[in-house]
Amino acid sequence: MENTINIGIDLGTTNSAIAKFVKGDVIVFNNPLDYGRSTLPSVVYYKKDRIVVGNKAKEYLERDPKNVVGLFKRKMGTSESFQIKSINESKTPVDLSAQVLKELKTFVNTGDTLESIVITIPASFDSIQSNATKEAGKQAGFKQVVLLQEPIAASLAYANMKKSKELTDGNWLVYDLGGGTFDVALVRIKDGEMKVIDHEGDNFLGGSDFDRLIVEKLIIPKISEQYTFDDLENQMKSASGKYNAKYYSLLNQAEEAKIRLSAVSSAEIIVERMKDEEGNEVDMEITITKSEFNDLIKDSIDGTIDMIKTILTRNSLTSNDVQFNLMVGGSTFIPFVRQRVEEVLQIPANCEIDPTTAVAIGAAYYAATKPKEISKDSSEKKQYSISIKASYNKASKETDELFAARIKGNTEGLFYKIVRQDGGFDSGLKELSERINEDLPLVENAYNFFTLTVYDNQNNVIETGIEPIGINSGFGISGQPLPEDICLEVDDYDNPGQTRLALIFERNSVLPTKRTLTFPINKPILKGNESDRLWINVYEGPQTSLPEANKLIGVIEISGKQVSRDIAKGSDLEIAIMISESRDVTVSGYLNMSDQEFKNVFNPKERDTNITLLKGQVTDLSSKLDEEIELATEKEDYETASALSKVKKEMEAVADEAESLTDDDVTDKRYQLEDKKRKIAQKIDSATKNKRLQKATDYYYETKAACEELIENSGNDHERKTFNDIVSQESAFMATKSPLKIQEKSDEFHSIIGQIRWRTPDFLKGIFGSLLNDQAKMNDQSQAKSLIDAGNFAIESQNWDRLREINFGLLDLLPRGSKEDITTKIGFGL
Amino acid sequence: MMEPNFKQYKAYFELLDQLFEIERKLENIEETNSISRNLNKMKDIFETNLFSSSTSSDIGFTYHNPIGEPYNETRLDVEASIAGNSTENLVIKEVIKPIIRYKSGGSTLIARKGVVVVESKN
Repeated sequence: MENTINIGIDLGTTNSAIAKFVKGDVIVFNNPLDYGRSTLPSVVYYKKDRIVVGNKAKEYLERDPKNVVGLFKRKMGTSESFQIKSINESKTPVDLSAQVLKELKTFVNTGDTLESIVITIPASFDSIQSNATKEAGKQAGFKQVVLLQEPIAASLAYANMKKSKELTDGNWLVYDLGGGTFDVALVRIKDGEMKVIDHEGDNFLGGSDFDRLIVEKLIIPKISEQYTFDDLENQMKSASGKYNAKYYSLLNQAEEAKIRLSAVSSAEIIVERMKDEEGNEVDMEITITKSEFNDLIKDSIDGTIDMIKTILTRNSLTSNDVQFNLMVGGSTFIPFVRQRVEEVLQIPANCEIDPTTAVAIGAAYYAATKPKEISKDSSEKKQYSISIKASYNKASKETDELFAARIKGNTEGLFYKIVRQDGGFDSGLKELSERINEDLPLVENAYNFFTLTVYDNQNNVIETGIEPIGINSGFGISGQPLPEDICLEVDDYDNPGQTRLALIFERNSVLPTKRTLTFPINKPILKGNESDRLWINVYEGPQTSLPEANKLIGVIEISGKQVSRDIAKGSDLEIAIMISESRDVTVSGYLNMSDQEFKNVFNPKERDTNITLLKGQVTDLSSKLDEEIELATEKEDYETASALSKVKKEMEAVADEAESLTDDDVTDKRYQLEDKKRKIAQKIDSATKNKRLQKATDYYYETKAACEELIENSGNDHERKTFNDIVSQESAFMATKSPLKIQEKSDEFHSIIGQIRWRTPDFLKGIFGSLLNDQAKMNDQSQAKSLIDAGNFAIESQNWDRLREINFGLLDLLPRGSKEDITTKIGFGL
Repeated sequence: MMEPNFKQYKAYFELLDQLFEIERKLENIEETNSISRNLNKMKDIFETNLFSSSTSSDIGFTYHNPIGEPYNETRLDVEASIAGNSTENLVIKEVIKPIIRYKSGGSTLIARKGVVVVESKN
């Protein structure tokens, strides 16, 4: 248990943040509901049944002012309170600050129990305002609240970043220009003690004012110049104005442009999707230059400089008495702000700390020096015994699903919140009652997980033991699962001349489903040449079996007769396969080169059997069978041989029948034959499976050993991890007893081996040597020669990276034809 | 669930934003060159090919155009500016940037929030 407070909060007027000191460093917690941001807008939104704090509340701030409150920090310590219409209650600035503090507690993911805290306050806070802040802390459930002035916090963040030496005695300024407020303080350090001497500020100046200026002073005039509008500015800014929505879209773009202008000298804003009074479509690209922007904000910045001058005069100081001006707050990212202030005052601008989180970081450093003052036994926890019985549909086709739960136990003073785990939904904090009902929005076609968390009135989590709520969208109800794998037949590049199945949809995928794949074709299709053909064969059945053993459910044949031009080898064939809920299979093949699409819909009830294909398969199957029998006999595997011989007889009968079938046969014969063929193929498949499995397994262990050795000698961490990942799945894929699956894993080892080898000098030298032998074959002799010279030099100077590049270069010079020359059946493959 | 750090993908998100813009512009154009096919192909590459490796399949990014969808304060997948006078029955009226989702297997994560303008339906 830590003895110091360690956690600090920047409770800001516009934004708040929370940070923790851990072993000499400070981490700023991220906003769990807003990726990439560590700040929480200090805005609270009350709805009838829930409280929303932060970004979402901020969105409603201007539009629903009766229920949303922001900038309440300015009213801290006054008797003023905010009447909230939706709940018919009034909330004090202390209540509202407590809500923000409670929300910040949910940022802490380190499992700390939060009882002691440092909270920062502006230098301008008097003792009543300070006490009000303390009170807010207490109300949020903190037992010990220590206050710290913001300029001191920023200075501490700086001092700790510098680490090396203590700050020397003297004065500096902390210039804090945020999203909506400006503060400047004069800080003095004497004998190691830091003190705020004086301060000034403007509660209505910040970055969002600059965005507004860009839209009003630059964009609107430029649009009005080119297009016809009646008082565009008013039409945009008035809530009932015609272009009000456009105004917000422009503000967004202005903010982006402002950020870009910190780095580059001009930024574009595109105005489109809007019509002027005469019906002309507005389409403009407005360029905003850095100097235009600087002119725009100059008056505001000069105003801040005047405040600093006032402070200096009041304290009888000159610029020379001030060591530096510490820049804090997001708007000090703007280079002009830094330059202008520095230029006019002649005080160096210090931009060394992250201006958005400096105050929270400083607060955490301070917290690390403050002891906790709560005795452990005083922190007794109330024991809640809550049990939750939840009921909801685990699968849904709706866009949202009703979640209902019954709560047993005392729910008084408790709250709950439901959050979707992808970060897209947050119910807000709602009062817990005996029954809860909540509509949960679902992301289509995905698993949606929600967590329900119960909190006490100080936002401490109450254990309930409820499981995450899991709802499948688009699953189950009418979407039926696929009974078998759906595969595509492709040329098997590992076994030239053979084909194999590539998995398209896995068994139990939910219908409807769709997938598009692209393959480079491996032979040319010449226009008008009927014997040049591509086959798109879609099969139903296990991916691991032979193509002939599965049921052909869709086929498209593209021949030279159908194409509008010659299709070159290597050009893309895009195959789209779609299966509807009623299991109609739509297959389409699109040839990139000719911009032609071939499409067919196959109904599962009317099987389509292509006679040419059937005959071809029967022939292939016969020769495969002969091979297998021969192989089994050779290996003296008589059991397999005799099983196969029995099949052989059936095979011969089928082959005869197929031979006599004419291409336009209208009887059922082809379907019967197709069935028989499939059964034979299945028999061959099961009789030879053991052999293939053994072969694949042996090969797997061989490759694994080779890979392991290479990794040990010259592998990197990434390769080691990939290797270990595969090994850790070993028992799972071995259990499938699928030669193809196991082969796949061997291939993965192979690619690791390849990666490593292409780094090892011996291998690179070997490749280079063999390429030297092929020099005569190369396309560009002069280039080949210069590459070879460079290669020899690379070997001499042991520049292996260079040698690798040279090898690739030389490989490219080899004529394509000599690399691969196989006959292919399908026309594309893996 | 591993929460990937999406910052490194920023450039990819910018590309997706461009695809979204192109798609939106295409809706208003009649053209015979099947540009949408190339566009869909690019979207498909982002969804299935670009980030998948042999050991981890089906990882990718998709974008979603939430135009016309209802909006309220529980929706965290977009950052909204509210236009008009009312905050009841809000719908998304203009999409400045689409929602980008990270897909891994059957589950998804919001990788980048959408930026939208919403207005009351009434």
